[in-house]
Amino acid sequence: MSRPRLVELCVNGTQRAVRASSEQTLLEVLRDELHLTGPKRGCNQGVCGACTVLIDDQPVRSCLSLAVLTENRPITTVEGLARGKSLTALQQSIIDCGAVQCGFCTGGLLMVAHALLADNPHPTSDEVRAALSGNLCRCSGYVKIVEAVCRANEGSLP
Amino acid sequence: MDLFLPQTIEEAVGLLAQHEGARCISGGATLVAMMNAGLVEPSALISLRQIPGLAGISREPDGSVRIGAMTRHVDTATSKVFKDGQCVVPRAAVRIANRVVRNMGTMGGSISFADPAADYLAALTAAGAAIEIASPRGKRTLPVSGFVTDWYTTALASDEIVTSISVPAMPAGSIGHYEKLARVSGDFAIVSIAIIARFESDICSFLRVAVGGCGPAPLRLREAEVVLEGSRLNASLIGEAGRMLVAISDPVDDVRASGEYRRKVLPRLLAKALIQIQQTQHAEVA
Repeated sequence: MSRPRLVELCVNGTQRAVRASSEQTLLEVLRDELHLTGPKRGCNQGVCGACTVLIDDQPVRSCLSLAVLTENRPITTVEGLARGKSLTALQQSIIDCGAVQCGFCTGGLLMVAHALLADNPHPTSDEVRAALSGNLCRCSGYVKIVEAVCRANEGSLP
Repeated sequence: MDLFLPQTIEEAVGLLAQHEGARCISGGATLVAMMNAGLVEPSALISLRQIPGLAGISREPDGSVRIGAMTRHVDTATSKVFKDGQCVVPRAAVRIANRVVRNMGTMGGSISFADPAADYLAALTAAGAAIEIASPRGKRTLPVSGFVTDWYTTALASDEIVTSISVPAMPAGSIGHYEKLARVSGDFAIVSIAIIARFESDICSFLRVAVGGCGPAPLRLREAEVVLEGSRLNASLIGEAGRMLVAISDPVDDVRASGEYRRKVLPRLLAKALIQIQQTQHAEVA
């Protein structure tokens, strides 16, 4: 372990100074130093998708990102999606469709679905399945999750 | 563990030479996963992120395509720079893991790890790509066959890095196709087949085939390609070419499949890939 140094992270629109050593992942720093526990530590290998966050508005695995290399790049975690108590259309749709069971995968898949909807506000179910193919959900069988993402922007049809 | 952010290739290879046991980090998709699993413990990390010109895809005057080592899979997968049979490279890129991992991983990082079940090396072998390498002693270029020396082992010396990959121009009208057999979408390949082919009135007039996942390095056998070139393809010729490739294969038993299964699947995947590429060509002509 190297000696930790001060790292400036820009998380959910706020500049945060944290101590991190070179080998510490962004996931460890978010959870253990900043107490943002939305990103989950599942496999720690980049496979399960539960740790997904946005860096520069693109979904990446926080478990495969070294914290020091994310300095001063905008990071969004699931905690940064809602504005106060006002949920995004996607978050509301996840609730309305009953797309959460144990909830472990939800934070990560929300980030991937959020990025998908930013590019493609009205995706087909096949497009949603392709986008979420890197997010493992062991409870739901995905049916309600896919439905929730497809219907997120139903109120604003093209 | 120290982390360095060199600004030039010269600085990066100088740091590698100075620090025994140091590793370069590009996207982190493989290296950080290995570190998390306790499989590697670098003495220092050298991030290539700040070196200008290491990322990006460009078309050279001779029709070849140069891919910078730091080019992410997502950028290779969606690039419109590749023409004709060169498209085998983006077709392999789009099959790597999933979109989120493709946002992170890079071509240089992937090929330097030389996982035989990963996707690029077979595609680059079929395309006859050249791998450009830098060290404190200067530059050198290797074909994929000279680059992968053993299981997960490359010809890279401890102070060398891959700087770019050059994919030569392919014959006009040729098509690139990548066929991958995996347990689930996004997994590593059990067996993969990279093909570049051209058909002229159903006669196969040009063929390059490379097989991934069936040995330490991709398999390519000119003699097997010659069996099919100049002919109207049929099951017996494809079977013969498949058997020749199986004969030089060296697949392992692992969690994904047995070596026996891989040997059985290889010729069938070759047939599937050849049918697919012919259908693509028909669709493009029609």
